Amino acid sequence: MKKVVVAAGLAAAVAVLATAAWGSTRGASKVASATNADTALVKCGKTRTIGLLAPATGPAASIGINQVHWANFFKNTYNRTHKTKKIKIILEDTMLGSANGTAEAVKGAQALGSNASVLGVVGPAGSNEVKATTGALKGAGLGFVSGSATNASIATDGTRTGYFFRTVPTDDDQSKSVAKYMVGTLKVKRVYIIDDQEAYSTGLADSVQTLLTAQGVTVGRDGVSQQQSDFTAIINKIPRNTQLVYLPWQLPPKGQAFGQQMKSLGRAGTKLMGSDGLFDPAFSGLGNNVYDSFFPVNPQDARVAAFKKIHHGTELFGAPSYVAAQVVSGAIDRACKNGTASRAEVRAQIKKTNIPVTVSLLGLPVKFAKTGNLVQHPFGIYHSVKGVFVRVA
Amino acid sequence: MNWSLFFGELVSGLTLGSIYALIALGYTMVYGILKLLNFAHGDVYMVGAFIGFFVLQWLGGPLKPVVTGWLAVAIMFAVAMIGCGALGVGIERFAYRPLRNAPRIAPLISALGVSIFLQNSALLLWGPQFRNYDSFDLVGVKSYHIGSNFFISNIQILTISVSIALTIALTLVVSRTRTGKAMRATSFDRDAAEMMGISIDRVISFTFFLGSALAAAGGIMFGLVFGQIFSLMGFTAGLKGFTAAVVGGIGSIPGAVLGGFLIGLTEAFATGYLPGGSVYANLYVFALLIAMFLIRPSGLLGSPVIQKV
Amino acid sequence: MSSLGGGQPGEGGLPAAAPEPVDAADRSKVGVDEWVARVDERRAARKGLTGLVARGWKRLPAPGRLVVLLGPFAIFPFITNEGNLYRYGLITLIYALLAMGLNVVVGFAGLLDLGYVAFFGFGAYLYGIMASGHSGHHLQAEIAIPIVIVSTALLGLLLGLTSWRLLGDYLAIVTLFFLQAFVIFVNNANGGLNDFSYPFVGKVDLTGGANGLDQIDPFNLFGYHITTTKGYYFFTLISITLLMTMLYFVNGSRTGRAWRALREDPLAAEVMSMPVNRLKLLAFMFGAATAGFSGTIYGAVQSGAFPGDYDVGLLITIYAIVILGGLGSIGGVVIGALVVNGAPELLRSSANARFLFYGVLLLALFVAMRPWYKPVVVLLGTIAFGFAVHGIASQVWSRGTAGHIAGGGRLGRALEHWVLLPSHTSTIAGWAYFALIVSALVLTLVRGWWRALVLIPTLYLAAFVWENKLVEQVSGATRLILLGTLLVVIMNVRPAGIFGTSRVEIV
Repeated sequence: MKKVVVAAGLAAAVAVLATAAWGSTRGASKVASATNADTALVKCGKTRTIGLLAPATGPAASIGINQVHWANFFKNTYNRTHKTKKIKIILEDTMLGSANGTAEAVKGAQALGSNASVLGVVGPAGSNEVKATTGALKGAGLGFVSGSATNASIATDGTRTGYFFRTVPTDDDQSKSVAKYMVGTLKVKRVYIIDDQEAYSTGLADSVQTLLTAQGVTVGRDGVSQQQSDFTAIINKIPRNTQLVYLPWQLPPKGQAFGQQMKSLGRAGTKLMGSDGLFDPAFSGLGNNVYDSFFPVNPQDARVAAFKKIHHGTELFGAPSYVAAQVVSGAIDRACKNGTASRAEVRAQIKKTNIPVTVSLLGLPVKFAKTGNLVQHPFGIYHSVKGVFVRVA
Repeated sequence: MNWSLFFGELVSGLTLGSIYALIALGYTMVYGILKLLNFAHGDVYMVGAFIGFFVLQWLGGPLKPVVTGWLAVAIMFAVAMIGCGALGVGIERFAYRPLRNAPRIAPLISALGVSIFLQNSALLLWGPQFRNYDSFDLVGVKSYHIGSNFFISNIQILTISVSIALTIALTLVVSRTRTGKAMRATSFDRDAAEMMGISIDRVISFTFFLGSALAAAGGIMFGLVFGQIFSLMGFTAGLKGFTAAVVGGIGSIPGAVLGGFLIGLTEAFATGYLPGGSVYANLYVFALLIAMFLIRPSGLLGSPVIQKV
Repeated sequence: MSSLGGGQPGEGGLPAAAPEPVDAADRSKVGVDEWVARVDERRAARKGLTGLVARGWKRLPAPGRLVVLLGPFAIFPFITNEGNLYRYGLITLIYALLAMGLNVVVGFAGLLDLGYVAFFGFGAYLYGIMASGHSGHHLQAEIAIPIVIVSTALLGLLLGLTSWRLLGDYLAIVTLFFLQAFVIFVNNANGGLNDFSYPFVGKVDLTGGANGLDQIDPFNLFGYHITTTKGYYFFTLISITLLMTMLYFVNGSRTGRAWRALREDPLAAEVMSMPVNRLKLLAFMFGAATAGFSGTIYGAVQSGAFPGDYDVGLLITIYAIVILGGLGSIGGVVIGALVVNGAPELLRSSANARFLFYGVLLLALFVAMRPWYKPVVVLLGTIAFGFAVHGIASQVWSRGTAGHIAGGGRLGRALEHWVLLPSHTSTIAGWAYFALIVSALVLTLVRGWWRALVLIPTLYLAAFVWENKLVEQVSGATRLILLGTLLVVIMNVRPAGIFGTSRVEIV
């Protein structure tokens, strides 16, 4: 009898819940909420709000904070030079690479979407984060411009066209430049590639390997984990006649450790090439057998010097985030010309961005193709001379 | 037959193995006495490596130390071993002793908590960046070779010999001294040992001191050989250390060393010879563990446990 | 035989033993028969508000308790916006669902499974393989979800088979390694250059490798698409309700009793002719199935499955939920999830975190020291001490008070006059942190008025360390430090968690 009562009560509870659920989601069709946020007109007062998704804490904090600094640098410069309009940046910490994976990024995206004054977003930093947050950001109608998500497929798979843009060249561009330099200029015939198991790294490694093999270069391939510091076992595996080891890694200290361990095992003669994640004095300090690829930011630019003065370092990784903030704020300004703007209008204006190369911090003009990629996207190749990277291609 | 690869991986494996052996020794001693899996042990290893790093900084840094390179290394060892020994004793006193009579899961969870606490305190205080020991500038890494196929560096020789020396020292302590005898008695039957007048608390504290000191030595050696340390290095190292202890036979000191070298060699040779080697190296170690459980659950040198009712 | 359970856990019951006068014997709950015999009396006679609530709770019939526990969750979506609903509501519920499965494995059956989140990931990935743009298949949810549940249960069976011969600790290591293996596998199984080549089919892109399996379809239940946060929220809420009901019945059934016997003493259970190995496997499978199911929800919500999401960090979070809520307590898991997930979210803005930190400190003070005047004295003493130190420091050491608290509002500005805020904090904060740990540990060693005396500088140090160090990393390292400390403290003070039943051992 007791069990019957319990079962009946339970069935009642479930029925009530189900009705509530059905009732609440019935009126809201799939696009209703999106359309509301999408086209809702926000009054453009004096302050315009931009959302920023970056890893301020967590394992990737060192690059995330750099991005935050560059974005804030843009904001402060803008606010100083504009009297009637100000920009405000709301930072949501995505904790890239941390225990909860992409969950924090999605939470941040949801929070920005729910904040009615946010008109556009800079970020997120990681390509996986872009994929995970697309649902939330698209659903809220927000356009997002990333300064570091370089995986080629996120712009071409069609799921976020018109919403996602990026102010960096893609991994495909980097791998093409790198392979071209290796084969054409360095003329190496035996290369060994080691990835660090992260998405960015394996993608780059795969495309470079394919390009090199197509040109008749002997390529060996292996991987290490990002947590690993003991490379001696894998160094031993590299054939002694290898001319170049390619390390598309993200953390400069790892590259430094690898180079030092190579030296300690008597392999100082082999050339090392890194990717834009290793563009750092720690890596270039290894010696003059070190090469790297990076987007062609001009280190003599006045803004780089000003940034260096404030932040005591020339970390250039976050420079595309500066440009991303510039793009979003420019779009908001144009959309706000008539006093109000909606997120859809801001997106449309982002598509029309046109920053000439003389003004752009990146050393490239900022103009977007339909996919959201930059129209012009070369990568620069650098060589370590006296411990500092100098551009050679 | 690629001798160069073979010898290269042999040396790498022995070096790695000697570090794992030191960690495994701590695990095996603690488990022998308390039947407790000390999750925090790997993080004590990490703290040891960092203490060594900061001592080095305090001595002037790897580029211009105030004492010669090798003396600096000796000081680093001494300070880290004592410091981590104290840390181990502290952990035991506050996180494990109150739970000595609690159900088995309680000290395990407590150990997990201590491990998280140590890892994240290190992350908070010292940041997630990698710190460099810079052994090149400190002691000058020289590579010796026999013939054209066998290469070994002076740091690797140091690592292997220090590890063996410490193991011999530990074995002497355990077999020849009174405290060692007390330790053996306690691990055999705790209640009987207590009734014979042995102070269990002191014996356990001493065990933790020794185990943690060894782990600290391992941490510094890791920094010297591989050049880099960071706050999360304790996790995988601890896991492999425990695997080594289990494979060698938990509760047996020579077993822990044997297990350590075995795991190190497996990792190195798997990396060198098997497809996708480095990526899947951990999985091969895992497979070794499973195989050991199936074939010989008490480990290579352990004695089968008979459960009395 | 060394232990006897002290009553049935997990009817969603509230804590059993009130803080008794503490001395060494009581502390480990080892006692003579008479003390044991009086346990129920003491429970019944609890005074004050907690006693009232406990008795009221016990008198509610089970469905009533369910409604009280989950009612607020049902109302939540109507009073908050989508961002908050996702953050505080949906994620909490998914974690609670996950933790409930773990509760069965660890709390009911006593098996330490450290590879649990691998099943969670497996569920997400398998659902993605069956219904995503990435894989090209688009099975409907009502077909895909049961397939996932059954497959994950089978995987749990396989892993459980390894526990056949293993003692608890070894099982922990094996399952932990399994988790590592899972993450490595999933990270590489993209048919790419690093992947295995399977017989018959060659290289197959199963999981998208490090890039993750993206474009996972939203649930398509009998033609009805769940696409909004609210939809998923209610789906998860209904699932939890059904699961809690199922567990309630299982708890009272033969299998539940057998599990509890297995947890208390496996050897005795075997001697009483319980099929111990089969019970272990059953527990494993049940936990795995629950995890797989939650995985499908998580994968659909995120519309993607990425390798980094299913690693040790999540494992620790779920364990913390189960431990906090009380091993074996069904309702406790929900409260645990609320605390472990909700609190760090509240902590995200440092202003909120500050309120929470000082609030919890005050609360702990008042709860731990019983006659009300004691904590008041300590508090006044600390405030006075603080002002004294601040005053001296501002005369003697100008750098010490140069910093300021950003964005703290009125509380922040008030604190600026009380706490030392050096302008360059890193080394000092490090030593202060160390000193705080030592001082807190010393606190556990002394008693009486000594304790009150040591408490004053400890509290001041705590505030100092908080303002200068912990606040910087509130949602990252600090949260985990607090979690780790919580685990250690709970195990020492109240091993049964908030809602578990404390177990009494007879020696």
